Amino acid sequence: MNTLFSRWLPCVTLASWSTVLLYFFFSGRITAFLHPTFRPYVAIAGFVLAGMTLVFLFFPADADCCSSAECGHGLSRLAAGKILTFLILLLPVTAAAIYSPDGFGKEAILNRGIITDASALPQSAKAPFSAPELPLPTNDATPPTAAATPQPATPADYLTRTPDGRIVAEVLDLLYAAQDNALRADFENKPVVLVGQLMPDASNNAGGKRFKAVRMFMTCCAADARPVATLVECETLPAFPEMTWVKATGIATFPIENGRRIAVLKADSVEKSSPPDESMLF
Amino acid sequence: MPWFTFRFDNFAFSFLSVLLEGVPFLLLGSLISGLVDVFVSPARMQRLLPSNSAAAIGISGLLGLIFPMCECGSVIVIRRFLRKGLPLSSAVAYMLAAPIVSPLVAISTFAAFKGQNPWVMTSLRLSIGYLIAIGVAFIVHRLPSGSILRSENAASASRKRAGLSVSPEPAEGQDFSTLAAAASGPKKLLLTIQSATSDFLDVAFFFIIGTAVASVFNTAVNQEIILPLAGEPLLAIVSFMGLAAILALCSTTDAFIAASFTAFPFAAKLGFLLFGPVFDLKLFWLYGLLFKRRFIIALGLGLFLIIGLICWRLSAVPF
Repeated sequence: MNTLFSRWLPCVTLASWSTVLLYFFFSGRITAFLHPTFRPYVAIAGFVLAGMTLVFLFFPADADCCSSAECGHGLSRLAAGKILTFLILLLPVTAAAIYSPDGFGKEAILNRGIITDASALPQSAKAPFSAPELPLPTNDATPPTAAATPQPATPADYLTRTPDGRIVAEVLDLLYAAQDNALRADFENKPVVLVGQLMPDASNNAGGKRFKAVRMFMTCCAADARPVATLVECETLPAFPEMTWVKATGIATFPIENGRRIAVLKADSVEKSSPPDESMLF
Repeated sequence: MPWFTFRFDNFAFSFLSVLLEGVPFLLLGSLISGLVDVFVSPARMQRLLPSNSAAAIGISGLLGLIFPMCECGSVIVIRRFLRKGLPLSSAVAYMLAAPIVSPLVAISTFAAFKGQNPWVMTSLRLSIGYLIAIGVAFIVHRLPSGSILRSENAASASRKRAGLSVSPEPAEGQDFSTLAAAASGPKKLLLTIQSATSDFLDVAFFFIIGTAVASVFNTAVNQEIILPLAGEPLLAIVSFMGLAAILALCSTTDAFIAASFTAFPFAAKLGFLLFGPVFDLKLFWLYGLLFKRRFIIALGLGLFLIIGLICWRLSAVPF
């Protein structure tokens, strides 16, 4: 029994954790969970844990686990407590690794609140130009002209296009464009293709023709990811279930509604799509 | 929308992401702890900080600038330092200050609050965070350590083995420090790994419980229920500090989340950024590795009260 606690259970725990870390890294599933900066650390930690496992294997214990006053496990004075300790170390990680999907479901997204306004996001490097002073929205439907702001580069320098010339936009691009004159000029009234997860829209949808194309914006790990969305307007709402990945193709517009400028993609077509390689935005 | 909607798949995804992010840092903390265990003797530890306790507390609170460590990793390192004889007050100063007074936190806070008074937010976060940490440390300095620390974390001269008792027991009358000092190079490495492994498993136990509890709330609680409170400063501060405790975010990234709640006042965001790194659902369990439960509850309530009051006073200042 002593050998079980002092050698084999720690060994199994370390090996399991190592396996989980290395599996997520080498299978590529890590992309849904962590920002790229943190991913290499997972592989390093996986190998270090594997090394620790080997130490337990080749340098066997000679005494009780948790038998002395040094032990930090509050439950470990009894055999049942020791087993419970290792079950807590093992089961949640293993169960989560087996059953976790690679993205949040609808309930978690709604609980976090969907952001449709770039002012709620950090002034990210995603915006290719430094943002000029933002003009206050006015009742005048005519948007400020792009000529009023400096344009240090042409859109062709950084925009990706499909073979038929449509701009491949991310949800964040259009959200930032609604706030940034120069960036807006690159997208406004241009053909755009956008991928996101379909969610119904209740706040800006008087005509009943709009839905939200949602992506998760991650800072560090999925736990801190926040849903961001662009509105998509189409003649007939697509009949796909909520959270379906869709590709919307249409014209990017930036009307002023309720006193603020928003991004609306007026879609010619909305079709089912496979998830992008990086399901999260950074 | 109901205020609570639990789904296991959402929980598992959030739980695993925190785990994948946190484990490398726990491991780093454990390895540092193992190195300290084997290579730093209690006598050397006594020489590291000034003998004047006030100066020692003040310096400990600034060590995060040189040795940045997240709140999870710092708990392991602190436990080892305590066992090596670091004064409890200095340990508390480092533990509470390091997650805030750190270059990484300063940079991330500044970046997140671009356009929302970044200089003011960053400087207030770091300076108030530091003052609160050393304030708590001075209080702890006046209390008997026996009423705060779990007995196994007190400095002990009679510890026999590293970690989970996997290393050979020293001869009668010999303690671990003597064994480590006399060990050859490879043997020291082995002892370091054994000690680090033990620390890792210890802290992982509490980390899992804390992360699991935090992940339930992180995914199941409707965060928009606090939005109506944004207009009333005191309620906004209190609810935002409560949200920080529930979300249990890493202090290097929490500023991005706080900044995204644009409806909330500046003071409420400051409360979020001051309280979350020093006390949340995850830390409640991790602190259990060091302190008695009664002290942890008192610490949490005290921090909530003092940070809430400071932010409430600041809410009258037009930033």
